[in-house]
Amino acid sequence: MRIEVERAILQSADEAAAAIRELLSGRKIFALNLLSSPGSGKTTLIEALLARFDGKGGVAVVEGDIETEIDAERIRKHGVQVRQINTHSACHIQPTRLLSVLREMDLSETRLLLVENVGNLVCPAEVSLGEDARVVLLSVTEGDEKPLKYPLVFKTSDLLVITKTDLLPYVTFDVERVRRAARAANPAVQIFEVSATTGAGMSLLLDRIEALRAAKNG
Amino acid sequence: MHELGVASEILDIALSEAGRHAAKKVTSIRLRVGVLRAIEPENLSFLFGHLARGTPAEGALLEIVEEPVRVECEGCGASEARSFTIECPRCKGPGVTVTGGDSLSILSLEIDA
Repeated sequence: MRIEVERAILQSADEAAAAIRELLSGRKIFALNLLSSPGSGKTTLIEALLARFDGKGGVAVVEGDIETEIDAERIRKHGVQVRQINTHSACHIQPTRLLSVLREMDLSETRLLLVENVGNLVCPAEVSLGEDARVVLLSVTEGDEKPLKYPLVFKTSDLLVITKTDLLPYVTFDVERVRRAARAANPAVQIFEVSATTGAGMSLLLDRIEALRAAKNG
Repeated sequence: MHELGVASEILDIALSEAGRHAAKKVTSIRLRVGVLRAIEPENLSFLFGHLARGTPAEGALLEIVEEPVRVECEGCGASEARSFTIECPRCKGPGVTVTGGDSLSILSLEIDA
């Protein structure tokens, strides 16, 4: 006997993401989900955002890694609220886990939530964390074919940040090729080129993130 | 290994549907999987088989209906591609937008009542 089901797989994850979205909206918190390969500069971008919002308070960070508290300790030095999720065998942060962590945090002053996903271009792309904007980082040392090899993460991201642009003279990386492939995957994607080392392009990116935050919550 | 979470959710849904219909056994599960999901069918079936052991879905066959990448080509109007692409698979033009191909759903189950 055949039963018609027609149901999305990962629906329980979607339900948890919806619960996160509701929790954040109720508290007027703007959330970013940061995705990239290991070592592309997610933690460095978080540090730049913390410096930008320094003194305004209201930033909370959730770090996702398979093991260790290394990233959380690095962020804690900036004096902000940070929680580390260790996923052990899992390749991305589960929304159910993030939801329970957020419920334990004191978010009464929080205006900006930064979630650093596990370093990996495949699995984190498949699961919404209820974020307001998804940011994918791609460093120029990784190669310009990545949007062709891992299209889903580029298709589902609102912002693409090309990082380590100070190294462009030393590597073969065609920025236009990346822009073209990312736009084919998602015509609405906003693309930034930054170097945390020289600071090039960084303020444009931080301005954009602040504008997105303000557009949601004023 | 990202197939593990997917396999576990397929099993949950299949078992809850089987329970609702008082089925003794789930014999096959039909899925729609978009190419962009990068699901390895063999890996998914292996993990599902492992998780389903000792449940009414033990031995159930996963039947995967592959969803192609949906594209829109400004040049020739092509609408499908076999994989993610930035040039049209038909006219080789550059004006291609990827519009879909990331489905991941259970279509139907075959059960023994």
